[in-house]
Amino acid sequence: MHISEGVLSGPVLISGAVLAAAGTAVGLKKIDYDRIARVGILSASFFVASLIHVPIGPASIHLIMNGLVGLLLGWAAFPAILVALLMQGVFFQYGGITTLGVNTMIMALPAVICYHLFAPLLAKGRKAVLAAAFGCGFCAVLLGAVIVGLALMFTEEKFLEVATLVVTAHLPVMIIEGLITAFTVVFLQKVQPSMLPTFDGSPQKTANSQK
Amino acid sequence: MNPKKSAPRKQTCRIIRAVGTAWFFLLAAAVTTNAHNVTVFAWVDGDTVYVESKFSGGRTAKNAPIEVLDGAGNLILSGKTDEQGKFSFQVPGKTEMKVVLHAGMGHKAIWSIPAEDLEGLDTLPPAPAAATVKQRPAPVASPQPMEPSAAAESVGPTALEIEKTVEKVLDKKLKPVLKMLADSRPSGPDIRDILGGIGYIFGLVGLAAYLRYRRSGKSSAAAAADDDPTATGNR
Repeated sequence: MHISEGVLSGPVLISGAVLAAAGTAVGLKKIDYDRIARVGILSASFFVASLIHVPIGPASIHLIMNGLVGLLLGWAAFPAILVALLMQGVFFQYGGITTLGVNTMIMALPAVICYHLFAPLLAKGRKAVLAAAFGCGFCAVLLGAVIVGLALMFTEEKFLEVATLVVTAHLPVMIIEGLITAFTVVFLQKVQPSMLPTFDGSPQKTANSQK
Repeated sequence: MNPKKSAPRKQTCRIIRAVGTAWFFLLAAAVTTNAHNVTVFAWVDGDTVYVESKFSGGRTAKNAPIEVLDGAGNLILSGKTDEQGKFSFQVPGKTEMKVVLHAGMGHKAIWSIPAEDLEGLDTLPPAPAAATVKQRPAPVASPQPMEPSAAAESVGPTALEIEKTVEKVLDKKLKPVLKMLADSRPSGPDIRDILGGIGYIFGLVGLAAYLRYRRSGKSSAAAAADDDPTATGNR
């Protein structure tokens, strides 16, 4: 899902960078002292997750984990993903430095959207939580694929063609990420419910302070 | 007081253990598998250019469109990689070439072949090269180059012919080496890269925590005791 250097046109790169900078600024503002470590851990998880390669489907794809990052961080997903993508670019040569902004948008924007869509459902019953977590992992990748299509549309390729290609290629990853996100959320609910954006004990206190 | 304090600590221990296990599995998986960053590698052998494509992790880019551009960026030819992610084409002429692989979904890789790599070739190789090769062995009646007898019979091999033969042999000998190079090139990220990246992220966390700590320490100090103006001066 990382777009390489030299694929996109200048205006797309610049608008991606500007939007990513804005998102990162919002995210940085919303991180409070207690959450810095959490942002770092999820950033590192995102960084490493991209190394887990899914050998299903036509293209070479890997885990992304932006759904989980978004669900647990909200807007703070922007700085977390930006830093992780920078590291991936420098160390693994995934993506690139010029495409950093666009790639951040591809992965962080869906994370934030999915956070707003699915985090409220976590307060509901057990089944709702499972469904919401799965949906969050699934949709974050799906939306990312749509943004890839959008970014490429303004350069050379046809939106529908690219978007369907990216979506079908990532279908296995969407399902796997949905399952991993669901598993993680259920696990966290048992072990450390305060990690989740809403939890039964005393909601709106620690974790929800960013709203 | 005491039970209240130990309950969160127990929970912290549990979560640390859980995170630790998760990390272990993540790292174990990370070491054995790699993800995607597409590379293309091209080399000249005789009058043919061989192209190999690869995603890091070893998968090849199958049926991916390839474009060959000249130095000025004009399209010379285009094609598609085969099922093994390979592609080859006849050298179109003595120019610098850029082999561009479009692996789809925003993946792209470029390999340039400088004009010097094509030095040994005649311009527009197929026609003249084939002619000389076919004509030369005819009197000796053997397809194998038998330089000594040819030398005895006539003026001997010209410098050009020797050069050509040497190049041919070298190409043949170097082919496995080049192949090995092609195979070993995109080795993907290794454990040092992974740990380095994680280290940077944690370092940033530490930095952020430190800055936050200093700031909050200063502001609380300012709120608590307003009699020290130097402490709050630069914030």
